[in-house]
Formats: sequence, structure tokens, C-alpha cells
Amino acid sequence: MEISRRSFLAAAGTTGTAALLGLLGLDLRPAAAYAQQTTPRRGKVYTTICPYCGVGCGAIVEVDDAGRIVNIEGDSDHPINLGAMCSKGASLYQLHDNPRRLRKVLHRKPGAGDWEELTWDEAIRRIAARVKQTRDENWISQDANGHTVNRTDAIACLGGAALDTEECYLLVKAMRALGLVYIEHQARI
Amino acid sequence: MAVKALLIDTVRCTGCRGCQVACKQWNKRPAEKTEFFAGPGYQNPKDLSKDTWCLVTYNEVEIGGRFEWVFGKKQCMHCLVPACVSACPVAALERVETERSSAVIYHKHKCLGCRYCMLACPFLVPRFEFDSPNPYITKCTMCFDRQEQGELPACAKACPTGAITFGDRAELIAEAQRRIATNPSVYHHHIYGLEEAGGTCVLHISNVPFEQLGYFTDIPHRALATTANTAMQAIPLVMFGAAVVLGLSYQLRNRTRQGEPPRAHG
Amino acid sequence: MTNHWIDMVNTDVAMICGSNAAENHPIAARWLQKAKDNGTIILSCDPRYTRTTAFADYYCKMRSGTDIAFVGGIINYALQNDRIDREYVRHYTNATFVIRPEYDFNDGLFSGYNPDGDPPRYDSSKWGYELDESGVPRRDMTMEHPRCVFQLLKKHFARYDLETVCSVTGADPETYRKICDVYTSTWAPGRVGTWLYAMGTTQHTHGTQNIRTYVILQLLLGNVGKAGGGINALRGESNVQGSTDMALLFHILPGYLKTPAVGLETLQDYLNKYTPKSNDPLSANWWQNYPKYMVSLLKAFWGDHATAENDFCYSYLGKISGNLSYISLFEAMYAGKIKGLFCFGQNPAVAGPNANKERDALANLDWLVCVDLFESDTSVFWKRAGVDPGQIQTEVFLLPALASMEKEGSVVNSGRWAQWRYKAADGPGEALSDAAVITRLVLALKELYQQGGQFPDPIVNLSWDYNVDSHGEPDIHMVAAEYNGYYTSGPNRGRQVASFAKLAADGSTCSGNWLYCGSYIDYADGKGPELEDGPHITQVRGRKTINRMAKRFAEDPAGLPPGRCIGLNPDWSWCWPVNRRIIYNRASVDLHGNPWDPKRWVIRWNAEAGKWEGDVPDGGWPPMANPDGSENPKTKRPFIMRPEGVACLFAPSLADGPFPEHYEPLESPISNPFSSRQYNPVIKVWEPDKIGTPDEFPVVATTYRVCEHWQAGNMTRNTPWLVELVPDVFVEMSPILARELGGVRNGDWVIVTSKRGRIRARALVTNRFEPFFVGGRYVHQIGIPWHWGYNGLATGDSANLLTPHVGDANTMIPEYKAFLCRVEKEEVA
Repeated sequence: MEISRRSFLAAAGTTGTAALLGLLGLDLRPAAAYAQQTTPRRGKVYTTICPYCGVGCGAIVEVDDAGRIVNIEGDSDHPINLGAMCSKGASLYQLHDNPRRLRKVLHRKPGAGDWEELTWDEAIRRIAARVKQTRDENWISQDANGHTVNRTDAIACLGGAALDTEECYLLVKAMRALGLVYIEHQARI
Repeated sequence: MAVKALLIDTVRCTGCRGCQVACKQWNKRPAEKTEFFAGPGYQNPKDLSKDTWCLVTYNEVEIGGRFEWVFGKKQCMHCLVPACVSACPVAALERVETERSSAVIYHKHKCLGCRYCMLACPFLVPRFEFDSPNPYITKCTMCFDRQEQGELPACAKACPTGAITFGDRAELIAEAQRRIATNPSVYHHHIYGLEEAGGTCVLHISNVPFEQLGYFTDIPHRALATTANTAMQAIPLVMFGAAVVLGLSYQLRNRTRQGEPPRAHG
Repeated sequence: MTNHWIDMVNTDVAMICGSNAAENHPIAARWLQKAKDNGTIILSCDPRYTRTTAFADYYCKMRSGTDIAFVGGIINYALQNDRIDREYVRHYTNATFVIRPEYDFNDGLFSGYNPDGDPPRYDSSKWGYELDESGVPRRDMTMEHPRCVFQLLKKHFARYDLETVCSVTGADPETYRKICDVYTSTWAPGRVGTWLYAMGTTQHTHGTQNIRTYVILQLLLGNVGKAGGGINALRGESNVQGSTDMALLFHILPGYLKTPAVGLETLQDYLNKYTPKSNDPLSANWWQNYPKYMVSLLKAFWGDHATAENDFCYSYLGKISGNLSYISLFEAMYAGKIKGLFCFGQNPAVAGPNANKERDALANLDWLVCVDLFESDTSVFWKRAGVDPGQIQTEVFLLPALASMEKEGSVVNSGRWAQWRYKAADGPGEALSDAAVITRLVLALKELYQQGGQFPDPIVNLSWDYNVDSHGEPDIHMVAAEYNGYYTSGPNRGRQVASFAKLAADGSTCSGNWLYCGSYIDYADGKGPELEDGPHITQVRGRKTINRMAKRFAEDPAGLPPGRCIGLNPDWSWCWPVNRRIIYNRASVDLHGNPWDPKRWVIRWNAEAGKWEGDVPDGGWPPMANPDGSENPKTKRPFIMRPEGVACLFAPSLADGPFPEHYEPLESPISNPFSSRQYNPVIKVWEPDKIGTPDEFPVVATTYRVCEHWQAGNMTRNTPWLVELVPDVFVEMSPILARELGGVRNGDWVIVTSKRGRIRARALVTNRFEPFFVGGRYVHQIGIPWHWGYNGLATGDSANLLTPHVGDANTMIPEYKAFLCRVEKEEVA
């Protein structure tokens, strides 16, 4: 096919213009498609209460199909904070997704310089044995005046203002049943 | 088309930095290594960066002879006529307005990495991932994706006091004016961002002049792109005009040589 | 709090004193801002200019440790200027009560002081009410009797004149006068003021009396029981309210019952001792129900084993004597008396006062069990810098715990709202909930004690019936249902008890915590929106139940009757007691049951219907007066938890006096100008040789918090986004002090030393601190946030290495907020 100089120039010009236009990004896709480019950050919503101060702000935790938390922000339905969060509450995602979180039971032998790992069963077995030994060796059923005392002063329990109320109840129930009297926590200090 | 904006009222701000962390959280930007503080008060990091798109500033000022602590917020101003958009040769930065949302957004897949946007922005907002082998520009997106879902930008949602409000630009301007008019002795009589750089979609009101908050205040009240635009728009005219002038001069010259045979070209 | 968070929006004047609310309870600022939009005035009174001050309308500075002088002056101002809500004071406080002639106060001491004893103590029988023939306190309704509480109060606070107060506190007189004027303007029945306080108030050797000054002032102004009023402690942890209610404290049992003292051999001895009596027929004396709550608690703990025949297993409870609180605990540990320690989400190596001593004390333990989200400073005390692990024989277990969003349960905020929350995702690795840890341990101990040991019965017979799964997780709903309580016998057996009014002392009910009775009820006892479907409808032990703590029906302000105060949100979660959102609310109405302040009423008497409308009334009894003005014999006085039935301006049951009196902190730069008693005369001074004096330690120091970190830092110092904001410990000081130290610039390292220890920190030089002109000279003060420790993503020296082992006379809360130190610029080598 014969190409005249004119037609060549015309064809080149048209192609070049089109390429240039393309390069300049004159995209006819809707701008809203931009919103889809970002990593999915929405999912099934669970409600929670911030574990930090005593205001008790509501937060929502969004979980993807694989069960991973993808977003934590304020709960707009909560009447106290209406979705607002301070710096601590806003950072809750990193309380969960954090390589420094403890994942295993750790144990330190007397005199040792570092941790070793234990299973839960082994740890509970050992702790229960320690508690029983200390309690039994330091049990006081009566004081010097013959009064019934039924306690041990050799074991103490601290904690915990960040535990759920149900956990606090179980803790006080357990510790009082063991006869501990040195029971204290953050409310005192 | 929506023209959405944020109104930052530093009089209401308590410096809690819920906004700063909410931005990090939504966008999952990593924390930077910091030491002590960047200046008086608790500011950290020192400045906006590739990972910090929203920064609360802490400013110790004097108001009426009295010491006061006033907090500011630095972020992309989402200009109505953005200089960064104008400067970008590949339109990687774009101002979009849809039915319900608006923002100046960034398409990373188009970016050349030329950083002209950083030079162009009068607020020194866009930041570059210098330490990445595949670097991009980053900046606040006014949570355009959240807007499209009918949600508030993360910073606006996090703010407890209404120091950050999100809404239609016109309505927020009216609200800003109302607050200033109702408390004329409290507020500094200026809405930062109303006209700076031709008008932005992040408006600030405060109880002190804005240079005391570390904001840039020497910004012309017209879109910075207009100078370039004016020059750029002149180019075709200039080129066409030059072509005409040269063509005419050629003709004139030729006419004086009429009658001579055309010269052979080697 | 007597009120709650949203209620702040209802106030005319918010006094933030002893709290830095915008810093540590930032979302409170939402409601304070809304209040400001309506003209509310915010007052910030603090040793330094804080983020709260930036938000406030007026700021008055005061030296740490001088709150009683500061607020005593406002009390005096109110009394001298007759800015008193007289009718409120007359009828709802013990202002009219006549005190017996043995009561006296002279040169800083009340009558009945016994200087011997460690600590010295008062014989509070010297502060008794004069009783009439029926054994009811005698009242002078004119409040003119020289020995009536009102006159004694006036006389006591007459010494707190403006000049004296300003010279002790270092406050600017003009600003102070303005504060007095603005705050006491809430005396008028149509105006109300709220008092917000926190650790700035409590962490002193006179912390309880600090609070007492607020109480006295609020009562004089008629602000308690009203919307926008109250005494509002801003509690610091998400569930310190719940943990306190559940009594993880040596001296109480769940529901604020008392731990039995040595000598109370039988249940009846115990109940006789602790069940208060009142001869006043108009006093509800609610604690007369004590036996019902105690027996129900014992039934919850030991189930069917607890019967009337065995005193409901009362003998299973350990009996106490002496003070076993936190400081005593660590003193005992230091002395080698404590062998084993559990730390459930607590970090004493950073949080405890005199941290060097407390860290050394840990080395005396045979074993330590820490349960936490991150490796805490406490859990690695044995490998901190400066110690040789080979010399420390403590066996340590560090158990990985689940965080809030990884488990289901409830937490109680400062407004007493118990809010349920859900598990969103599994926790990391093998982490378990604290409930599972406790459960597994209890079940293991039960097994061990089946085989014998010392006094095994309380453990073997402990009821632990929670459908425990294979990981050891109990059904948390069954736990909540138990602390609510259910019927153990009779026709209602198994049914949840719907209200603590239904609890019995005969063993037919169990309830782990009477205050929470009503939080988890049978569906059949529900009413209103809670009958609708939702996450709050649950099933426990085969019964359809309502977990009121999980209710999520927010208040619709448009749906409220005219004038009703906003924010009560009765159907959002559940609060104690019995979902009463503003307690003492029967003091918000006059004797006829009409609100003192109709434009934001809390309750009001509907005479036609014969009942109260609005919030749950603080006792459903009718108003105190009949329509003709005569006393209604069916009524009860409004402060139902006091045997007197009225609130106490004069409080005879406190260890350090019925009235607050200014004393200097244990370590102070000046002599006490109010009396020759330098510090609180009845505190226990644990280490007399460790008290710093101004010649060696001339600078006042205090400790506080920043918004971005939380308590001992174990969570926030491991959170990168928060560490980015505030990475390092710092000392705030005025530029004048910085200059006097040889030109310390912002960011320079300084060494701060006290009698107990030293720390190294960066100086933050700021105009937010100014020197105080007290006792005729300038005194400097510095402040140190205490969140740092040697372990974590962010580390730094702990401010508590400096603080003393000394605490409040009533609560033994350590005096973290005012001590002495010396500051030096660190010499660069």
C-alpha cells in the first residue's frame, strides 16, 4: 500500500496524540473506582469498650472473612463518645496486631538469666503445686490469742483494674477461698 | 457535585491526638522513630512525612498578655485548584468531586516519581518514600474512600470536641463565620484556607494569628496554578502567533525574490 | 461518680480540680464543649497549665498538696457571703445536728488524739452527735446552736481567709477570688456546678479529706443529686470501678461488705458489728439490709455447702487485723514475709511508690505469677539493669493473656455503667483470658486439695459451676448471672433475682455482689425496650434471660419530657444501683418532690399517680412533706446509705477528723501556717529516715500522666503509634528553674533525686509551670509523667523511684502527688 508523506504524517499525528492523551491519564473510569483500590478495611462489626481510661468509650472492631481484625475505630452509636476516640483508643488496632504480644507461657527458673517456654498444662500444674505448698506451709488457723483466723499471709494477689468484672469476681472468689488476705489492686494506688 | 471540607477549630482542640492516631490506624501507616519532642510541648513527629499525614502541633503563645497553649493541625489542604495537580505531568494527583465526596487524591499507578508536586505545593504537603526502592508520594486523602461509603474522615470521626468538623464547604464557611462573629474577642478574625492558594477544603479558625501556629501565611490568595496556567495557556497562542509571524515573514521575503527559479536542494 | 459522663453537659460551672480531664479522660471534653456552647464556664485549678487549662475559661494555679486550703477558702467564701442553699443544707445534710461538747479542735488537732501507737489515732467517740431520748441525733433547724454542725463548720473554716489561702497555695489572689465567685454562684437553686476530680485529689496523705472539702462545698451549694452536679471521681482504668465493686482490696468483700476482722468468730458476731442501726424512723439506713447481702454472697461462693447450720461457711473466710493495703503488702514482702505473688495485669515495678524498694522486695518472693498482654517490667525484674539474676531465686511464670477485643465480658466505667463487650477475634498464640487462667488454677487446686492439705474445705467446697470448656474458659454469662444472683430454693429456684430488695438472709438467694443484682435478670422480669430482640437477650442455665449490661438503646433527646435533664440513657447498658443514673437524686427535689431546678429535672413526684417520674428514684418512698407541709411519715431521708439519712458536712467516721484541715504533705518546702502540726497527725510513717527535707531537696515534685500513655505503660509503651507520640520520659519545669540550674535548655538531660532514688530524664522547659510564692518565698515545682520503666518498646526511668512509701490516713493511697526533690543538670562528659 502506498503511503504518501501526508497520510503518514496524518496517521502518526493521530496515533501520537492518542498516546499522549493516554499518557496524560485522561481516564474515563469513574473516580469512585479509586476508592476500591485501597486495601479492604471493612468487615463484620463487633462492639467493644475501650480498655484504657474510665470513660468507657465504645469502639467497633471490624473482622474480615479470615477472622482477622482489619479496623478498630469509634462506635458512632455509643452515646458517650459518639464515635470519637483519643490517641489511646484510636490505637487499639496495635494492641491486638502487635509482634510484642505474649503468645506462649514463659517460665524463669530460680537464678536463671532468661525465659524458657512451658505448656499451659505444665504451668498450671506447677503454679498450683507452688500455691498449695506455700499456703500449707504458712497456714494460720488461729492467732496467738486463740481467735480463728483461717488465712495465709504468705501469698498476695495484685490486680486487676483492666480485667473484666466477671474475671474480677472469679479472682476475688478464688483468692478469698484460698484464705488470702493480702488482696490489692490499682484502686488502692 | 459535592465540595466537601474539614473545619479545624483550634479553640476547641484539646491536643488529644485522636485524629493523628486515627489517621495512622485507618491508613495503616507505620510509626516513626522519634526522640523526646519536636519543639515546645508534645509535638511528634517533627513534620508531616510519608507516614504521617496528619500532625497536631503544640504552640505556646501569648494572648492578651496571658500565656496560652494552642494546638494546630497540619495536613493536606485539599485545594480547590491544586498546584500539585497542575504540576503533575501524568495527572497522578487529581481533584475529584462526586455526588457525595470530594478530595485531592493520588493514583500511585500513574506516578513517575518526579516530585514536581512537592515543589509545587505551597503548604509543603506531599511527601516522598525516599527509602523505598519503589517510591511513591503519600499524603492525606481526606479519607475519600470513607466519604464514598457515607462515613466521616477518620480524623473528623475521632475528634471528641468538634474541633474537626466535616461537611459542605459552604456550610462550614458559614459556621466558621458564625463562630467568629459570636465570639469576636476569642477568635482571630480570619479563616485560613478560605482564600489561600485560591481556596482550600481544609479551613482553620483559631484564637491566635496563624503564624503563631507554625502555618505558612505568605500564601497568595489565588490558585498557584493560575500563574503557570496563564503562561501555559499562552503557549499555543505564542506558538501559533510565532508560526504566523514566521510564515508571513517568509512570504514577504519570498515575494521580494519573485521571478527567481527555486533553488535546487542537494 | 455520683453522676455520669454525659451529665456534664447539664452543668453551669465545671470545676476541674485534682484532675486533668482533657488529658486523661479526653472524651469528657465532648460534653464539656457542648456545655460551653451553652454558656457553661470551665474552671481549671492545677499546679500547672495543662491541656485541660487550654480548654478552660479560667485557670488558677496551686502548689501540689494544698487542695484543702484551696477549697477550704472557697467554703469560707461561700459561708461568709451567704452563698448557701439553705433549705437544701437544712434538710439534706447534718448541718442541723448538734455535736456533743467533747468535740473540739485546736492547733491542728481534734479532740480524742492519742499520739501513742503506730500510727497515732483519734478516738472518734469524742466527735459524737448529741442524741435525743429516742437515740436520734438532736437537730437545731435554725442552725444557730453554737454546737450545731453548721456553726462548727463556719468556725472551722473561718481561718481559711483569702490571704492565708493564697500564701499557702501560691495562687494569685485576684484569680482565686474570681474562682471563688464563679464557683459559688452555683448556690442558687437554678444553678448547678459539677466537681471533677481524680488522682490529683486522692494521692495525698490527706487525700480523703481533700474529697471531703469538695463534698462539703457541693452540699453547701446544694449541688449533690442534681443533673450537672455531684461529686465526680474520674476513674483511671476501664474497669477499676468493676474491680473495686468486686472488692479486690484487703478490707472489703464484693459489694463493699467488710472483710471479717479477727475476733468476729461467728456470722452473727460479724453481722452485729457491721450492720448499722438507726433509731430515726425517717432514715432508710439501707445498710440495715447487710445480712441479706452477706449471706447471699456466702451462698454464691460455697453454694449448697453454705447452710444456716454452718453459718453459711462464714468460717471459710480469712479474718484480718491491721492494715494489709498495698504499701503494707510491699513492706511485708520486703521483710520476707510474702512468698508468692500473683500479678493479674498489674505492674508494680513501675506503678508502686518507692519503686526501688518494691523491685528489691520482689526478689524475696519464692514465686511470682504475672498474667499480662506484654512482657511487663515486673515480670522481668530479675534481669533489670543493676541486678545479678544469679542472686535472685524467684521462680517466675509469665502467662499470656487476651486483650479486651479478644474475649467477652463487661467493664464498668466511672459513671457506674456496666457495659458488655464482645470477642471479635482470637488472641495471639496460646493466650487465654484471665477467667480461664483463674479457672484452670482453681480446678487444679481443687484436685490437689481433694487429697488433703491445710484446711481444704473452702477450696474443695468452692462452687465453680460455669460450664468450663476444654481451654478452661468458663461461660462468662453464667459468671455474670451468679454475681447478679438467683434463687437457690423455693418455688423460684433457679430464677434470677430481679432486684437486691429481694435478696434474703436465710440462704434462699445467692448473689456474688448485691450491687449488681438487677444487671442480669430473667426475661419474665423485664420491662420496656429490653423485651425487644437484641444481643442482650441471652440464655443461662436453660432460662431465657436479659443481660441488661448488653443493652444498646440510646436515649432519644427529642423523646424526653420537657425540662428533663439529658443524657441518662436508661436503656443503654445498666448501671448500679438498680440502674439509677444519678445517685442521691431525691436531694434534687424539695420536700414536696418538686425539682429544685425544673429546667433540668432528674426525678419529680407525680402526686396523681403516686409515684416518681424520671430517673430511678433513690428510694421509691414518697416526698418528705405532705401537700400541706406536714412531714409525711412514710418518707425517708434522701441519703439512704448513711445511717443518718442525710449527707455529712461533719463526718465522724473518718480516721483523721470530722472536718478537713490543711496539713502539708509529708515532704514539704514550708512549715504549715495553719497549725503546729506539720503533716496529717494520724498517718503511718513507714520510713522515718527516708523523709526528704527542703535543705537537701528544695523543689516540690509531683507525678502525673499524659494522654498518650496509660498507667504503668505496659500496653501503651508497646504500642508503636503511641510511642511515636511520646517516646521518652521527661521533667516539666519552668524556664526560671531551668535558668537557675545553670541554663538547662529544652531537651537537656537532668537528674532528679529524692530521698529514695534518682532518675534521669529530659527537661521540658515550659511556661506552663511557674514558681509559687508561698510562705514568703519562691518555691519551684516540677512534674514527671510516671509511665516509664526499663522494659518495653519505649523505656525510661520510672518517676516512682522518687516517691515515698506513705499514704492517706484512711485509704493508704500513696502520696505520689507531692514530695520533695533536687534537680541537677546532667554534666556532659
